[in-house]
Amino acid sequence: MKVRKIVTVVEEIRTEGGREVWPPARVAVVAAVIENPWAGQGFVEDLGPGIDETASDLGAMLAPQVLAALEQPAEAYGKAAIVGLDGEVEHGSALIHTLKFGDHFRKAANATTLLPAVEKRGPAGVVFDIPLKHITDATIRSHHQTVEVRIADAPHADEIVVALAAAAQGRPQQRLAALSTEQ
Amino acid sequence: MQANETSTVPGLRKLVVYRETLVTEAGARPARPVQQASAAAVVRNPWVRTGPSRDLSEEVARIAPSLARLLTDRLADALGGVAAIEAFGKAAIVGNAGEIEHGGALIHTPYFGNLMREFLEGESIICFADARADAGQPLVVPLWHKTHAATRSHYQTVSTRVPDAPRADEIVVVAAASTGPRPHPRIGDRATDPVITVKSLESVLS
Repeated sequence: MKVRKIVTVVEEIRTEGGREVWPPARVAVVAAVIENPWAGQGFVEDLGPGIDETASDLGAMLAPQVLAALEQPAEAYGKAAIVGLDGEVEHGSALIHTLKFGDHFRKAANATTLLPAVEKRGPAGVVFDIPLKHITDATIRSHHQTVEVRIADAPHADEIVVALAAAAQGRPQQRLAALSTEQ
Repeated sequence: MQANETSTVPGLRKLVVYRETLVTEAGARPARPVQQASAAAVVRNPWVRTGPSRDLSEEVARIAPSLARLLTDRLADALGGVAAIEAFGKAAIVGNAGEIEHGGALIHTPYFGNLMREFLEGESIICFADARADAGQPLVVPLWHKTHAATRSHYQTVSTRVPDAPRADEIVVVAAASTGPRPHPRIGDRATDPVITVKSLESVLS
């Protein structure tokens, strides 16, 4: 795995809707900008070897960092793969849609649910939203949220940005009725 | 990127800390691993709907020092302490209902600049960028060496952006820093430059 840079973003919301949020709502993202393992190889039919070489190491690297940046236990989480313009979205999906990748985060966060994800292709500086859901029950509405990320010079055409996101709570000022009230 | 500091900034809506750790550049590891970071605070513009003759000093004295404290704390925390910081810069993005002067009021007076310099143990003038913009507009913040501003290896920038700020009646105030030079600095410095004048380059320019 060839890493160019690691980007960490922490958002802390102090007021929302004009009211104080206390404790402040925290969301953290850690993204690795890596060379697309399949760059320059034309259409690769079997992505398995590239996945085996990269996905687990990537998950192992990012999971502890995003939890460290959050500085609190994660209650919601999500992931992203943003593929540079010369790659396939399938390349990004290959790296993040495997248990080899996601299990590192699930284990580190004591989580059980599947990670919601964004996969897209774009130029350097593309804005992307990472969806997050509750780490043990994806039906918990209060924790459905997104965090927006942009890296000014990534991904290059032959790169992939792979990111994990974690939130210490649900949405600030969350006040929707639970799903069960509609069933 | 500490969670629970107690300092309060009047009108603070949110805080965004961004850090880049460069691993390779142009395919090679830099001689010195460097991190860049920015800390951005979204605050209410206290001067919206006031006219251009309005004295700004009272709010500057009330708001700017706590901003300097909060943002430099977060920067130092993100970069491994004040001693690790070698270059710094600052910026303001003013929402469209405000004047650029309002952003300048929060970053260009001693109530912010002197404190930022002192907190980060610098001596240089702090370089800056400012803009009036809609929410989500990126701004490139220049950095230079905190004690020797003319150190060419440390001329660099960091891009900052808060997705949903500034609203029209807000200001985003940014402090930014780096732990070292550009990844592969190799454009000399004042000590090694030849003497270049228009006359010395007459043949090139003609």
